[in-house]
Amino acid sequence: MIARIANTKSLAVMSATMLALIASSATGTSAAGQVKYEAVVGMPLRIEQIVLPGSELVARPLDETNRPIVLRITGVFPHGSDYRYDLEFYGLEPGTFNLSDYLQRKDGSAIGELPPLTVEIRSTLPPGQIEPTTLESVRATDLGGYRTWCLIAVVVWLIGLPLILFLGRKSKRKDREASGPLSLADRLRPLVEEAMAGQMADSRLAQLERALVVLWRNRLNLNDMKAADAIVVLRQHEQAGALLRQLESWLHRPGGGQNVDIAAILAPYQDLPADELSLSPQHAGTVT
Amino acid sequence: MQKMLNEAQIDTDIKAISQFIRDVRERVATIVVGQDVVVERLLISLFTGGHLLLQGVPGIAKTLLASTLSRAIDLSFSRIQFTIDLLPSDILGSEILDQRTHEFRTHKGPIFTHLLLADEINRAAPKVQGALLEAMQERKVTIGKTTYPLPVPFLVIATQNPIEQSGTFELPEAQLDRFMLCHRLNYPTPDEEKVIFRRNMQLGIHREDRGATARTEFDLIDHEPVGSSDQLVATIDAVHRVHVSDTFLEHVVNLIDRTRVHPAIELGCSPRAGIALIKASRARALIHGRDYVVPDDLFALAEDAILHRIRLNYEALADGLSGEEILQGMLRDIGGENKPTDAVIVDS
Repeated sequence: MIARIANTKSLAVMSATMLALIASSATGTSAAGQVKYEAVVGMPLRIEQIVLPGSELVARPLDETNRPIVLRITGVFPHGSDYRYDLEFYGLEPGTFNLSDYLQRKDGSAIGELPPLTVEIRSTLPPGQIEPTTLESVRATDLGGYRTWCLIAVVVWLIGLPLILFLGRKSKRKDREASGPLSLADRLRPLVEEAMAGQMADSRLAQLERALVVLWRNRLNLNDMKAADAIVVLRQHEQAGALLRQLESWLHRPGGGQNVDIAAILAPYQDLPADELSLSPQHAGTVT
Repeated sequence: MQKMLNEAQIDTDIKAISQFIRDVRERVATIVVGQDVVVERLLISLFTGGHLLLQGVPGIAKTLLASTLSRAIDLSFSRIQFTIDLLPSDILGSEILDQRTHEFRTHKGPIFTHLLLADEINRAAPKVQGALLEAMQERKVTIGKTTYPLPVPFLVIATQNPIEQSGTFELPEAQLDRFMLCHRLNYPTPDEEKVIFRRNMQLGIHREDRGATARTEFDLIDHEPVGSSDQLVATIDAVHRVHVSDTFLEHVVNLIDRTRVHPAIELGCSPRAGIALIKASRARALIHGRDYVVPDDLFALAEDAILHRIRLNYEALADGLSGEEILQGMLRDIGGENKPTDAVIVDS
């Protein structure tokens, strides 16, 4: 049995001394039992080109949780009626182990006689080293589990979302209703009275003019039209046009106010019914 | 008596100016079909000294319009096609070393003109846009160590294509604010389009020596101007004498203020918007034969003076609202004196 041992980190083949220690025998006769591969816990070691008798071998699956050795076969080559193997292993616990115990036949037959592949795994820790406390699994308080919590979250969301939406809208609507109906009558009446009394600031005059324009836009149903187009239509209307021309002379034309009978032009707007002047939300500039 | 004489003088002035404006519009109409509103906005910009940004797709006679207008009033005209590799010196000019005299001489750029058409201004790099906009505001250009005043009047008509956005540099709000008006161009009506096609079919060919080429609308521009620079100066002067009532000022203040407190608007209008609105309204009043402004002017110019100066917030954009809708809502609502917070309530 010819074998070479290499550390996988450096991939250097171990010394010839080590090779000499490894007995080679197709029949298994040698001092194989005396051959020892030494390694440190956790450090991988390779045994290359080792001939083992019988049909092809494979590493036993890792079905044990506390297995001290992890072994894998990195290469398999026919060698007469036998096979040559490249093995790689590392130990997880200190101690002496036989690698043959971690092999099995590929065809499922009995493993039979195999030369012992003794390995000694050394620990680098000093003797008497205190091991950390073993972790003990503690069962958490049962709060229903992940799925239950997901279900609860979905239910809360399904109930909460409509509540947020509807309650929010209701409160918005309440706010709007609380602020009073969008009636022009309430706004226009004092403006007209002030204007007829002849005591009006420029800002109030501007409000009056704007309110009258909006009134006529409502009356002629021009709220869907652009402001610039609506004013052109208003100018062409018999009553609205006359009103706008009078307002123009009164409020904008230099010296034009002298020729305007303010009381006469505002009289029709003094006592208009509130329902005619109320602005529907759409007319108030609501964009839907 | 004196007052009556003054009024008679004003009436005479307005009649003369109205005739001048009518002549110019008629001349433009012989070349360009329709586009009355654009012509009006161009004249407003020319009479007030403000600059105009035109937003619209290519091929709706922007260059032809500007060129025709400049020729009609005997003004010089330049056109710059803005591209990504344009440099500020390509517009403003530069100092060139004369190899014969070994001295630097100044080469003035195309900005030294009365009417400058900056085509697709958003295609140029920001530093080029910045150089033009700075010159637009200061009305002077520094080349080397010398500062040169720009011709008077100086009007920039810039265009932007709103559809193509790749490879463009959008003008920031601060620079857009320097344009007095931003007008959105529309396609001509079907009737106007028919006239355009018929006129184009009748253009014929242009012969020169032994060669010939198809004539274009630009070949029709070569007419004598219908207006002089004196008439233009008189019109500019008359714009400044157009009466603006306190009531009108209240309307403007109210509208501008609404843009600042509107819940759908993140950035409202600056005072410059109000100034632009009043200046433009005065010019429009004069164009319409009035020596005083009326709310009609405000309604007609509000979109062009305000829309490019406001920025909607994310909520409004997410609701699919446009600046135009919000502004029209404000103009609709302005008479109701509702709080601006009531102006936009989106119900699904």
